[in-house]
Amino acid sequence: MGNQQPVKTAASAPVKKRKIGNPINNEKTAGYIFTLPFTFGFLMFMVVPMAISLYYAFCQYNILQPPVFIGWDNFAKMGSDAIYQKSIGVTFYFALVSTPLRLIFALFVAMLLLENNKLSGFYRATYYLPSIIGGSVAVSVLWKRMWATDGTINRILGINFPWLGDTRTAIWVLIILAVWQFGSSMLIFLSALKQIPQSLYEAAMVDGANGWKRFWKITFPLLTPTIFFNLVMQLINGFLAFTQCYIITQGKPMYSTEFYTVYMYDQSFTYYNTGYGAAMAWVMVLIISAVTAVLFATKKFWVYDGGL
Amino acid sequence: MSKLKRGAAAALAAAMGAGLLAGCGSSSGGTTSAASGSTTTTAASGSATTTKAASGSSSSGDTNMVFAWWGNQTRNERTSNAITKYQEQNPGVKIEGQFSEWNDYWQKLATNSAGNALPDIIQMDYQYLNQYMNTGLLYDLTEFTKDGTIDTSKWNQNMINAGTMNGKLVAVCAGINAPALVYDKAITDKAGVTIKDNMSIDEFIEASKKIYETTGYKTNIQYGTAQEIFSYWSRADGSILFNTGKVDAKPENLAKYFKIYEDGEKDGWMLSPTVFAEITIGSVEQDPLVYGDNPENQSWCTFCWSNQYVAVLKAAKEGQDMQMTTWPSADPKKSDFLKPSQFFSVSASAKNPKAAAAFINWLTNSEDANNILLGERGIPMNSDIASKVSAQLSENDQKTYTFVNDVVAKNCSDINPPYPDGYTEAGKALNTILEAVCYGQETAEQAGQDLVDQGTAALAAKAAASK
Repeated sequence: MGNQQPVKTAASAPVKKRKIGNPINNEKTAGYIFTLPFTFGFLMFMVVPMAISLYYAFCQYNILQPPVFIGWDNFAKMGSDAIYQKSIGVTFYFALVSTPLRLIFALFVAMLLLENNKLSGFYRATYYLPSIIGGSVAVSVLWKRMWATDGTINRILGINFPWLGDTRTAIWVLIILAVWQFGSSMLIFLSALKQIPQSLYEAAMVDGANGWKRFWKITFPLLTPTIFFNLVMQLINGFLAFTQCYIITQGKPMYSTEFYTVYMYDQSFTYYNTGYGAAMAWVMVLIISAVTAVLFATKKFWVYDGGL
Repeated sequence: MSKLKRGAAAALAAAMGAGLLAGCGSSSGGTTSAASGSTTTTAASGSATTTKAASGSSSSGDTNMVFAWWGNQTRNERTSNAITKYQEQNPGVKIEGQFSEWNDYWQKLATNSAGNALPDIIQMDYQYLNQYMNTGLLYDLTEFTKDGTIDTSKWNQNMINAGTMNGKLVAVCAGINAPALVYDKAITDKAGVTIKDNMSIDEFIEASKKIYETTGYKTNIQYGTAQEIFSYWSRADGSILFNTGKVDAKPENLAKYFKIYEDGEKDGWMLSPTVFAEITIGSVEQDPLVYGDNPENQSWCTFCWSNQYVAVLKAAKEGQDMQMTTWPSADPKKSDFLKPSQFFSVSASAKNPKAAAAFINWLTNSEDANNILLGERGIPMNSDIASKVSAQLSENDQKTYTFVNDVVAKNCSDINPPYPDGYTEAGKALNTILEAVCYGQETAEQAGQDLVDQGTAALAAKAAASK
């Protein structure tokens, strides 16, 4: 650190001098230029469309005709839309069940893969694979076939149960697919696990703590920041899940698997109630913000924030 | 990892893009090479000058048009070939073909219209005609029928009427279609059941029961797309199921139709609703008639459209003997109808509507075009062309022709007016209610009333909005 200091000041001094003469050489300007591709994309493809969708949320809009401002009507409509309410229930159920299951599974596999040997790299890549392909259309199609009445799962179990056709089980086909896509959480857990100092475990072992105790007293508390991060990210993903439902169940049977996003999509582009769809999108933004805010509020009760 | 993923995705997208380009662009690419080829072979100085003139005009006087349609692989190929042919015959006209799947097509078209970038020539459907017409997005072609650009002398008057709204010809029928019940004769023979044309609903149910009792094969009427059969049955009662702003059918009549499903599930002869959770509804290849692997999930029939017959045959398994008859109804003459399978329309924003009209005229009235298209969109409404095309068809394609011309055309009534705004939503409501009936969560009686209420709510909301 000591010998780096003078270098830094030497570098920044001439910049300061030039700043007066030629603003293009200003560090800030350079920064803006470097971030321009992102800023442009962010503004054009995120901020502007979001602003437009906010406007549409208060409009009667069917894409074919110009939007007509109708105030809060779209939001009022949600109150009497039974399918909308059903889709909220389904989405919450899916997100709140699949996320913890996925995290538990991810942590479990991460701990199995923690040991270093020649094959661990291979295993890590293999277990990550479902996450890469899991959200894809192809896997969804495969999944649909696997859980069909004459599919692989029934063949293995030797039964003939319509998993996708039963209102109680169809959602679980989607939940299991979501749990199976545990890879990205697993990798994050894995790197966090590696950072826990081995000395803590050694000390605990000397004190006679068994494996279970070591997990709950050392591993888990030190992992809580990572768990928190994964929980927030995956919960948001859960609320926004689309492909699985769209490809596998399309909300069938009896709307028991109707995801919020799929209903929103149908309203916007199948029935051309695009204003209503935009309003639904903004309600989802509010829901996710609220859930995230609640999570952050609970942070101080269970997330270990101290240093090692 | 994410880099890898992104790279793979980009590569995939590029590959797909290239495939699309190759597919879409093949027509124009083909033309240019064909054109240049012909000039070199003739090698006459005259032709050299004409090519020069043509290439010179390509920057100024050329007509560039976009023609969008939905469809299957066969249609895409044949239509692209037809475009190539047209461009050969009409140097200076360039047509870019854009094709998509049904669902994507309408989303794309809607967004195009929002961006004021509709294709010049649009393949239109009866279901969407009203919506596009009412919003002023379609060009009135009447002037071109008067000035001779479009020749309507040989056209079927009913089909002209179907594409005419408020006295304006906005859609030209691309082919004639009729509802068709396709069934596996191998199964009905085994059950000792004869299926005849113009069956009544009772006869159909009788047959279904007998087939179930003797062979175990079940029946699929329509599930997920039942608005079609409900409309069909309602026509026998003299009512238009989904009319502008309301459901125009009596709840007790609708309850009667829901009851067929309710009883079918109870008695076991109807396919279980769970089967439909595992397939893509509307896909011919996944229809329970051809997709099932045992009597439990296989149907002996499917309710579809005459121009899908060939696709069903293609998807059929060995040993299946597919035949075609009419949908059953209490009054087949009142129920049955000929339908324009799809239309060609010109968008109101087309730069050169006359050129677009000329192309549509060529598609519908010329032998050149129809020798390539071969009635894939349905039977040509130009009677001369239809008979000429029919002579070149395979035995199976001809079956469709005879079915439409000899069975349906002789015993049918006028088609319902174009589907009102909100039809899709009302149809979804119907299928949702039907699902509840089939899952035993709602009685048929209740369902009839529910459909009137919910369907009317959907249709009325749209009718109010379009005013």
